[in-house]
Amino acid sequence: MRIQQNMTLMEKLSILSTAAKYDVACTSSGVDRSGNKKGIGNSVAPGCCHSFSADGRCISLLKILFTNECIFNCAYCQNNCHSDVPRTAFTPDEVCTLTMEFYRRNYIEGLFLSSGIMISPNYTMELIYETLSRLRNVHQFNGYIHVKAIPGADPLLVEKTGYLADRMSVNLELPTSDSLKKLAPCKSRSTILKPMRQIQNGITVNKNELTVYKKAPRFVPAGQSTQMIIGATPEHDYQIMSVAESLYQKFQLKRVFYSAFVNVTGNTNLPMLPGGPPLLREHRLYQADWLLRYYHFKVDELLSEERPDFNVFLDPKCDWALRHLENFPVEIRTADYYTLLRVPGIGAKSAQRIVKARKNGTLDFSDLKKIGVVLKRALYFITCSGRMMYPTKLNEDYICRQLMSDRNMVPKDIREEGYRQLSLFDTTAEFPALQQAGSR
Amino acid sequence: MYLFICEDSPDGILTGVYDAWSYKIANHIKTHDEIGLLSAEPYSRRLFCEYIPVTVSSEKAAKVRHTICKNLGAEFYEEILNATLASDSCGKNQMDKADAIYKTIVIALSSPDGAKVLNYLNEPCIHRVFTLSRAAFNESHHLTGFVRFTELENGVLFSVIHPKNNALPHLAEHFTDRFPMENFIIYDENRKIAAIHSAGKNFMLADASDLNQSLLRQYSEKEEAFQKLWLAFFENIAIKARINSKLQAQNVPKRFWKDMTELKDRL
Repeated sequence: MRIQQNMTLMEKLSILSTAAKYDVACTSSGVDRSGNKKGIGNSVAPGCCHSFSADGRCISLLKILFTNECIFNCAYCQNNCHSDVPRTAFTPDEVCTLTMEFYRRNYIEGLFLSSGIMISPNYTMELIYETLSRLRNVHQFNGYIHVKAIPGADPLLVEKTGYLADRMSVNLELPTSDSLKKLAPCKSRSTILKPMRQIQNGITVNKNELTVYKKAPRFVPAGQSTQMIIGATPEHDYQIMSVAESLYQKFQLKRVFYSAFVNVTGNTNLPMLPGGPPLLREHRLYQADWLLRYYHFKVDELLSEERPDFNVFLDPKCDWALRHLENFPVEIRTADYYTLLRVPGIGAKSAQRIVKARKNGTLDFSDLKKIGVVLKRALYFITCSGRMMYPTKLNEDYICRQLMSDRNMVPKDIREEGYRQLSLFDTTAEFPALQQAGSR
Repeated sequence: MYLFICEDSPDGILTGVYDAWSYKIANHIKTHDEIGLLSAEPYSRRLFCEYIPVTVSSEKAAKVRHTICKNLGAEFYEEILNATLASDSCGKNQMDKADAIYKTIVIALSSPDGAKVLNYLNEPCIHRVFTLSRAAFNESHHLTGFVRFTELENGVLFSVIHPKNNALPHLAEHFTDRFPMENFIIYDENRKIAAIHSAGKNFMLADASDLNQSLLRQYSEKEEAFQKLWLAFFENIAIKARINSKLQAQNVPKRFWKDMTELKDRL
């Protein structure tokens, strides 16, 4: 082992937070738990962001690795066993001190503990369990804890840890097992899916226990999540979204996170990305992910074998609407909730508000604006009492052009590129500007 | 037209609602349309309007609160309370806060739909209450994350905030639940009020215009070390290839920065 123990807490924190930053899941959502009057901490289901780092990402949890020592050789990871970085490890007490003192000052909502694999998966999992157990039992910490289940660790250890954590996650890393074999030879689909299935079953069993006995200890109450790296391997959006959909359906995951690939190792198996990480692609995947979870869309409606990637110019919902103009315009007075949800510019909240508010009389366009509907997008797809906001053509190209003039839709350089060769069905590969846009 | 000028506080506005309503009954005024409420003294008074000042009374406010909770439910009251805490400058619709609240209560009590009238956003006064309440709620929710405590020499956790709306009641409740065994003070410097909590007890809101500022600069000996650790974490967690200061400022608006340990030096 190459671990340096004689470091100050400051040095360790610097190394182990740098090592953890490519993990994306930093949410503290999914569990409502009020304070217990004696310890410290509570939790709210929508989660709470405490700060935003210079890259604009939310900081909710103290996101650290327990150690960045690792026996695995995943090509994309800066901590893989071949890379030349200083290695260190916290002690359980150090993690507790940092968590408690940061939490008291309201810097964080809780702890996100992940780890490289030191000595063996079991050894590492044991240390993580030890840390959580001290936090919960010695320090009476009642805040949020998100912890990684180490692939290959003893199921018993995973279960014990699950009773102390709010959320657990096992990273899927890459969308297909072929890619995994190539880039992360020490991991396999089965070592990843096994703990995932175990946690899922644990949650189901625990739910049944809780209905019988309300005070039964809770197992992973905020559910489990996972993440995939986007752009390190040649998979299309269609494959990625299909994997996400089946994770939601078959593993009942709370969230799937997508992480735009950043080349930190310079490994020859990995693509060089001169334009920076594929941020726009990541953004489109998140938009589509929302459509799956809150808007009752299916992946097959959004993408197909013939169109395997999302349109860069338009968000997936607009894109879908333009290809299904036969469903529009929708009448605000009569359309049901699920139909409203599919209108570009109407979100889940405004759809709910429309359904409730129209009981009190007809809504006109100014009412819709007040309710929160984005009219500049919705106006092509809706009628109020049989009228459109102003006369407009229900024509694919026309609406597409109008929508794209919206500055929030796509980065400027892509938009201008788009005017020159405007076609709805173009794929990303043809647009060199996309690469530059990634760097934003 | 009869206009009631009330104090800009939850109790002030609720007293205004009580006075206006009883004035209407006592003077046999036909409709509520002839009555208005103001949450501040107007810049100029209008002709043919009678201006009636309202003296805050916690009993009258309690009666209104009781009626609302009993007839319209706790959720409706929550919405009204949030609206009273909001700053009148929120939103584009310039209807006075107190007036919108009064009219909303009138509509709700007279309608068979009761508390459900809050959904009728095409009604201007209800939309106003909705906007105000949302603004107050959103800001206090933001602040539950953005508030920063510093540990003073005597172990008390201290925090300063400068919110647009009065976020203190909501924050005090949140942190009392979160830190039951801590002594803490949250100080709203704009309004010169503070929430004070001592371990194991409930919080109180107090006037803090004479707060001893020098005491608040005396940090505990560990304080600086943990601030430095937090700064280092904050620095390291950002991915260089994704730097996006516009997005950052969008997510944590700059008006909060001066009270946040990790951001105040970046302004």
